[in-house]
Amino acid sequence: MAQFTLPKNSKVQKGNHFPAENQGENMKNFKLYRWSPDDEDNPRYDDFEINLDECGPMVLDAIIHVKDKVDSTLTFRRSCREGICGSCAMNIDGRNTLACLKPINEVKGDVKITPLPHLPVVKDLVPDLSVPYAQLASIQPWMKTETEAPTRERLQSPEDAEKLNGSDGKGPAGCILCFCCSTSCPSYWWNGDKFLGPAILLNAWRWIIDSRDEATGERLDELEDPFKLYRCHTIMNCTNSCPKDLNPAKAIAEVKKLMVQKQG
Amino acid sequence: MKQNNHSIISDVKKVKGLGSAHHGNGHWMAQRITAIASIPLVLWAVYSVFNLQGVSYLEFTAWLASPLNAILAILFVLNTFYHASLGTQVIVEDYIANFVFRKIKLIAQKLFFIALGVAVIFSILKIAFTMGI
Ligand code: SF4
Ligand code: SF4
Ligand code: FES
Repeated sequence: MAQFTLPKNSKVQKGNHFPAENQGENMKNFKLYRWSPDDEDNPRYDDFEINLDECGPMVLDAIIHVKDKVDSTLTFRRSCREGICGSCAMNIDGRNTLACLKPINEVKGDVKITPLPHLPVVKDLVPDLSVPYAQLASIQPWMKTETEAPTRERLQSPEDAEKLNGSDGKGPAGCILCFCCSTSCPSYWWNGDKFLGPAILLNAWRWIIDSRDEATGERLDELEDPFKLYRCHTIMNCTNSCPKDLNPAKAIAEVKKLMVQKQG
Repeated sequence: MKQNNHSIISDVKKVKGLGSAHHGNGHWMAQRITAIASIPLVLWAVYSVFNLQGVSYLEFTAWLASPLNAILAILFVLNTFYHASLGTQVIVEDYIANFVFRKIKLIAQKLFFIALGVAVIFSILKIAFTMGI
């Protein structure tokens, strides 16, 4: 059966409280999920009180503040701090999003932060993404051609390029592989080992509609599977959670339409 | 194929598993088609139940024995059970992770819907052929 409750050693307990050094007018509490593989302790929520006048406006600024000033053992991923690298994805206030794009003042009350749901935790806010990465490799996300390589770049009309980029920049090529979508999808929670999930299916779609790629049929063949593709039941959580405003649910619907077309 | 706990396999091998089954589109299409077909059939069924309130057994069987009603009733039963069979299959695939248990459950419920469908259609035909004029 699908597992609906956490095992005993994963139940989250109350942790430590860290009051802010300097009190002020703009105080905010951050409840951060903590777990370390180095001891036998259950995960816990540590409470960090932060004086918002001493840190930047985004949630990422607050957790960097904690790491720099309060507890240097706090572990999380981040790189670009501008929504491009996809590494700071986490669940903030009940929604998967990028910490660097999430303004603190959008959260009412305490800011509760956990790692992306339903993945094994490496440490604190860092989830283990090896399965999603392997799934990405499995769809062969590179251009496949039979036509002999030209002496210059392969040409693509502006209209065809727009299918990838979107007229508003929100086409499938805008995906930063943060996995906010996949880890918000109930189908991916239950069958994440076999269902490819919205992030990977959106990227598969990106190659299927690339006018230069010559493996369209093979790509569709590989996707036609009750688990890889058809575990998607159009629940739409994926599109709701994408911090880049992309539409993986629509990409999946388009793949299903092509499957119908392929049958003649 | 069962991997024992001692095998050392890469994540890519794990997620590729036994490869694509190369089906799923047919099931998906059948689910949509039966859903759309159920709109007029359910409307007809509800309308009929409403109209048949308070009728005697004889009046009801005479109604069901008319060719149009008998055919619509059979289509309604076939469509509903086929749709239910497809839908419950999805639920089982979603939630039952154990392969053996899942397969047994899927086969059993398919047989169940076939048996139920045959029984209901037999009943309709029996009424249609014995009560009709
Ligand atoms: S639309 Fe499909 S992929 Fe997106 S959340 Fe729903 S089931 Fe998952
Ligand atoms: S579709 Fe959006 S949420 Fe999903 S991985 Fe790409 S950028 Fe992230
Ligand atoms: S730090 Fe790169 S997306 Fe947030």
